[in-house]
Amino acid sequence: MAEEITKMDEAGARSGPPAVKDSSPDFEFAATEGEFRSLDPRVVKLWRVVGSISVGILLTVLLIIMLIAWFAVPTLALWIFAGWTGLAVLCGWLIYWRPPRLYRAWGYRIDDRVFETRSGLLFQVRRLLPLTRLQHVDLQRGPIERAFGLASLVLHTAGTHQSSITIPGLDAEEATRLRDHLVAIGGDDAV
Amino acid sequence: MQYETPQEQDRLSPEITEPGESSQSRDENHHSLSPLAGLTILEGRLHPLTLLFAMYNSIRRLILPAIPLIFFGSRWSFAIFIPLMVAGAIIHALVRYFTFSYRIEGGELITRQGILERRERHISVERVQEIRIEQGVLHRLFGVVDASIETASGKGPEASLSVLSLAEAERLREAVFKKRRVSASYSEGESEIGGESAIVRRLRLGELVRAGLTSNHLLSALALVGTLWAFVDDILPENFYERVAIAVYGEANRLLEQGTQTAVLIAILGIVVVFLVSMILSVIGTVVRFYGFTLTRSGEDLQRAYGLLTRRSSSLPRRRIQVLEIQEGFLRRLFRLASLRADTAGDRSNNQEEDKGGRDVLLPVVPEKEVDELLPVIFPDLDREPTSWSRVSRLAILRDTVEGAIVWAAAVCAVYWYQGDAVWLWLFALLPLIYWINLVRYRNLGYLLGERFFRTRRGRFSRSTHIVPIRNAQAVVVSQSPVDRWLGLATLTVDTAGQAYTGGGPQIGNLPLEEARTLARTLAHRAAAMRYRW
Repeated sequence: MAEEITKMDEAGARSGPPAVKDSSPDFEFAATEGEFRSLDPRVVKLWRVVGSISVGILLTVLLIIMLIAWFAVPTLALWIFAGWTGLAVLCGWLIYWRPPRLYRAWGYRIDDRVFETRSGLLFQVRRLLPLTRLQHVDLQRGPIERAFGLASLVLHTAGTHQSSITIPGLDAEEATRLRDHLVAIGGDDAV
Repeated sequence: MQYETPQEQDRLSPEITEPGESSQSRDENHHSLSPLAGLTILEGRLHPLTLLFAMYNSIRRLILPAIPLIFFGSRWSFAIFIPLMVAGAIIHALVRYFTFSYRIEGGELITRQGILERRERHISVERVQEIRIEQGVLHRLFGVVDASIETASGKGPEASLSVLSLAEAERLREAVFKKRRVSASYSEGESEIGGESAIVRRLRLGELVRAGLTSNHLLSALALVGTLWAFVDDILPENFYERVAIAVYGEANRLLEQGTQTAVLIAILGIVVVFLVSMILSVIGTVVRFYGFTLTRSGEDLQRAYGLLTRRSSSLPRRRIQVLEIQEGFLRRLFRLASLRADTAGDRSNNQEEDKGGRDVLLPVVPEKEVDELLPVIFPDLDREPTSWSRVSRLAILRDTVEGAIVWAAAVCAVYWYQGDAVWLWLFALLPLIYWINLVRYRNLGYLLGERFFRTRRGRFSRSTHIVPIRNAQAVVVSQSPVDRWLGLATLTVDTAGQAYTGGGPQIGNLPLEEARTLARTLAHRAAAMRYRW
């Protein structure tokens, strides 16, 4: 798995030129029509950590409830514990299996007018956002994301069902550059 | 500054935050405003009857929480509460009347109110989506109205002026729209500016009756009953429901003893009666709500006025229409009737009370053959668009037939399982019907991509057509379910601001994947190239 990620690392997020302080806004994003850029490969690990934490909390709470139920109705115990173990195995497998595939499903590209993302495993979705409809851009960094040096970008439109598009797991520096770039294009023409 | 949300911008200076304007036209805009900047066009206060109406409103609002107190409270608390309530209402009314003022100044509508906490609200006239004027029965007695001004914030009216004299409300409306026409000179070349107001369509009583007959009876009847209930409920004696329930139960028992045949007959009779009553109620409801419906175009603004008891009128600039839906329900389609629904950017919450006001419909009913003539009034450029519809993939028939057949087979098996009679298996003979239905559905499913408009259409027996000006597209989404991926198909959705009344905006399924992607890219690029205007 690690090899796979390194390969994607080479092909994906790192392919752009290194971060330079460049005043011209469209130094690397404009010409990428047709090529989807990947997220930062570290996001696989991030998703596994976040998944483990949330599943861990859920399973612990369930365990406590089960123990209480066990004291009340001892005959049920075996079934409940079997169910709990099954759930734990399933979750554990999902945490291992899903993030790399999700990482491969995720991509974004941008030309001079449209920002496009693709995502989803079972239900695959492509969202196209005319850059002139961009209302504002948020850069989000949770504590775990910060520990990984990652950031999420949230693009807001005035739409109803797709009023915000989140791109998770970007390299923090790249996210900042992307945000500045989007602000520069979007701000020129509309709000 | 560039990335504030629109609501915030409304309260900031309007000159620098015109959306979708190139810097050039922004200068023009500035230019046309500058001689007017700081000039007060209209200034006003509320009508003195505000005292009465504000009191009435606040007492009405307080009466519900007070009910438990009135019934269960001691006499002592009762004696304190009632005077407090009345005093509060009087103070509220006085404060509202004496502190509320409004004016139009330098391209802004400014309202002020409050004593301790002075609140001043600046609404850019450019951003006003819709002005609605409402006149209940009580209002009509005194010749006053409630006016509410809506922007794209979608959190209800930005300013409510309650109450104004009718003449004053007209003056306000005139001022807002005249003001806008002055600064609309930079608007896109094709749109006419100014112009006389002309009646687009007036609905006759007969048409309203037909609309009532063909609407969803049960639903509108329920809505009407619900409204009446609110009044009647207060008047009825407490044990009324109990007595009715006992009577009905007794009757039912008596009937069952008389044998099943009578019971079935009574049940059928009951259904017929319910149907007839709901039909009559629906007709009454439609006529009362939309009596004297008139759609007028005055320059860029579409104005609607309607209502028998509560008179409502609203002005909507036609370029503010985000999505238009031509809706033809099953019954409407039988009688070749359609209704037009429109969403503005402000329509977000699906408030039940507002739906009852007929806010959602641009035109409640119109003969199908007139729709084509009416559309260019609403979208001026539409007649320059192509008219050839594209179909989706033929796999749609196969897919929907298989899906429908599985559901049908499951249902038949379930019935057979419970009834145990092989006669039910004859229902499988209806399977070809499912194929036929889906074939017809496929033939009526389509989209139409033009330079400025994107249209989708679905349904034969009940039809829904969506028209979206491409410049209003906020996002375009191509999605694939697992079945879609297996068949190489995709669903395309266009997202716009404010989809509340048109059933979720334009969406078209069963497109071949590559076609969907190309279409999405085309739509997104065209939208990006056009200016979005609030």
